[in-house]
Amino acid sequence: MLFNSLEFAIFFPVVTALYFVLPHRWRVHLLLAASCCFYMAFIPVYILILFVTIGIDYCAGMWIEDADGRRRKLLLWLSILSTCTVLFIFKYYNFGIDSFTGLANALGWHISHRAASIILPIGLSFHTFQSLSYVIEVYRGRQKAERNLIVYATYVMFFPQLVAGPIERPQNLLHQFREPHGFEYERVTEGLKRMAWGFFKKLVVADRLALYVNDVYADPRSHSGLQLTIATLFFAWQIYCDFSGYSDIAIGAARILGFGLMENFNAPYYSRSTGEFWHRWHISLSTWFKDYVYIPMGGSRVPKFRHVINLLVTFAVSGLWHGANWTYVAWGALNGVYLVIGWLTASWRNQFFNAVGIGENTRVRRIIQWSTTLVLTCVAWILFRARNMADAWYVFTHLASGWNLHEIATAQFFLRQMPVAIGAILLLEIGQIATRRIPVMSLTGKLPTSARWAAYAAFVMTVLMLGIYRKTQFIYFQF
Amino acid sequence: MSTNAHAVDSATMSTPVFAPHAAEASRLPLRAALLRLTCFFALIAVLAWSANEIIGIGLRRLTTTHYGSWNAVMQGKVNADIVISGSSRAAYHYDPRIIEGVTGHSAFNLGRNGSQTDVQLAVLNAYLEHNRRPLLVIHNLDAFSFVPTSEIYDPALYVPYLNDPELYSSLTAIDPGLKKSRYIPLYGYVVEDMNFSWMLGVRSLLGVPPSERSFGGFTPQNRTWTDDFESYRKMHPDGVSFPVEHSGVDDFTQLIRTCEKNHIHLIFVYSPEYSEMQEMTTNRREIFAEFQKLSTTYQVPLWDFSSWKYDANRAYFYNSQHLNATGAELFSNDLAVRLSVWFAHQQQGTPEPGASVR
Repeated sequence: MLFNSLEFAIFFPVVTALYFVLPHRWRVHLLLAASCCFYMAFIPVYILILFVTIGIDYCAGMWIEDADGRRRKLLLWLSILSTCTVLFIFKYYNFGIDSFTGLANALGWHISHRAASIILPIGLSFHTFQSLSYVIEVYRGRQKAERNLIVYATYVMFFPQLVAGPIERPQNLLHQFREPHGFEYERVTEGLKRMAWGFFKKLVVADRLALYVNDVYADPRSHSGLQLTIATLFFAWQIYCDFSGYSDIAIGAARILGFGLMENFNAPYYSRSTGEFWHRWHISLSTWFKDYVYIPMGGSRVPKFRHVINLLVTFAVSGLWHGANWTYVAWGALNGVYLVIGWLTASWRNQFFNAVGIGENTRVRRIIQWSTTLVLTCVAWILFRARNMADAWYVFTHLASGWNLHEIATAQFFLRQMPVAIGAILLLEIGQIATRRIPVMSLTGKLPTSARWAAYAAFVMTVLMLGIYRKTQFIYFQF
Repeated sequence: MSTNAHAVDSATMSTPVFAPHAAEASRLPLRAALLRLTCFFALIAVLAWSANEIIGIGLRRLTTTHYGSWNAVMQGKVNADIVISGSSRAAYHYDPRIIEGVTGHSAFNLGRNGSQTDVQLAVLNAYLEHNRRPLLVIHNLDAFSFVPTSEIYDPALYVPYLNDPELYSSLTAIDPGLKKSRYIPLYGYVVEDMNFSWMLGVRSLLGVPPSERSFGGFTPQNRTWTDDFESYRKMHPDGVSFPVEHSGVDDFTQLIRTCEKNHIHLIFVYSPEYSEMQEMTTNRREIFAEFQKLSTTYQVPLWDFSSWKYDANRAYFYNSQHLNATGAELFSNDLAVRLSVWFAHQQQGTPEPGASVR
């Protein structure tokens, strides 16, 4: 079920109430049952896939811990291969066959195939990676194997973060299921505020911008350069608000129940380099790739050429994780190229800036770094959003052409929506800047209750009245 | 780009960053905490309910746009001799001012954008419940007339009147989801409605209603031909077909019976459609055979304007299905002249010469 649905508005309070009413020993069972209901609201039968991966990694964890030497490593690889096979079949089968067929046809071997009608289970990539990190950490001896199937299954299926992360580490989350969580007013209200902020990002900002972006990117050749540019900028905010909004709701919901999930975003569009961006964007995924792909490949402790390869491969694979399409691979690789170029040219750029008198921490330099990073990120998003490489190339090459100020609106996004959309983005940015510079929450805590409640109620009513509710799925659900 | 501080080259395991915990504060007792939370959510519920009522009052007060037309219907202020019902092709094609001017009979356009026959019937029933029965109902036909509605279009139009039992039961029979709009505050205005129609209600209360764009329910489209048809044709190189659903045929039968029961004359009119779109509809014969069958079985005149003299001229259409304002004026004149003849025959008690049917 979606967070932005009537079903969740009923489901969550009921589950929360039952959670705090039940004795501690039964709470993990409730969470597991609730998580099953949550997942089965999408396509019920696909819960069997979850059960299979849970079974594989639950057994693997225990056997790995009890084994030693080569058998331990063999069990690890068997577990990884089994889990990844499930991921490959449901996510990459058609992509693999299509790519192979395309290559074969390009080489003159005319083969055809019928695509299998396989529906991607919601959140497959997320819970697969969460399971993989568990077995790897058990293998590395940094996590004890969980012997209680109910606790382990709940760790994989915990509904706030089941379908779109954050991708948790066992050291952080697993033990929390054994700890009692009492009802604490301050913690609950903190969680509610976090959820409200997430709903603002998703309903007011992301889903509104999606109306424009979907129209333009569905048929870029029917839109002008100005519309392509606006859509590309809007997409940058749409994907950020959609995904970080989901994370906020997930973190807030978990917080209400007494669980602490990891932060997944840290104002990424304020980054001054691609490297910094990837420390702030989808933090749970980028750290996963760093810990389980990049570092095992050698990381930076290899010759320069190999370091470059490690970066490019890690980012390309990260792109592929996002979807079975060459556009995602290209997007990931492009980010890798940005990082490599940035790293290789760091000293030259330093010399250049120093030569023209723009020192390291001057405002001018910070603005140049920030704006360059933002532009490069937005350009890369074109690949992420386009339906295929041909569309992406068309958008790239037509951003600056045919700017017509009388042709801004699209079929679904009327001109009168524009002030609301821009206003929502500004409100978002003001909120983010204010929160970073001013302890907003502690200041509002000092206001009289009536003023505080008036502010909170006004915010909730703003989200209610200005939100877009037309059953739009979170973007990252498709991954 | 600075890489020193953030280069991806650390060999150490990443440390997760957790959401900052609230500062240690005095812990409220459980009962007080639950009471506070309950009071806050009760406040939100009261605000939502109040906003719902205020918006409804504002929308019911509108006298302009299609909201104003609908309010006139539900408040029993129309009482016209001729009522036109149908989809957007009815709402944009039939100018009641012209029909009134030529025939001498008052006219009103009940056409509903985005509607199928089931919703059009519900709208007609609501009209009959609140206004005196008309002499004549002109029901506009479409190629998709036999396709049932899956979801009510423009639900905010009906939400202020969902406490009307007849309207509520007929609309919820079509779209059961509409029940939520009655019982959950703001659901109909913010979840179901994508047009922010609630702002019209607020404007109405503030004394700043939207400008009038509808005339007796008719909304002229001051637009020129768009590229939509070319895109549509590219997407459907093999043409399109519209199903003839049994439930759609039933809706027509109910419409006919409603008019019979209320002693209202009924005429089916297939208003002009761009000629190239007619050629694209692969099952047009089947659809018109069903229209003819209904016409013959129930003795309802069928006036087919498929061969209208301007149906190949894009200057009078803004897309393949809809006439623009100029086209609507021409068509309304042609229709009104024919209606005058029909009224004359009715007065004399002689049947009108048979309708042309393709």
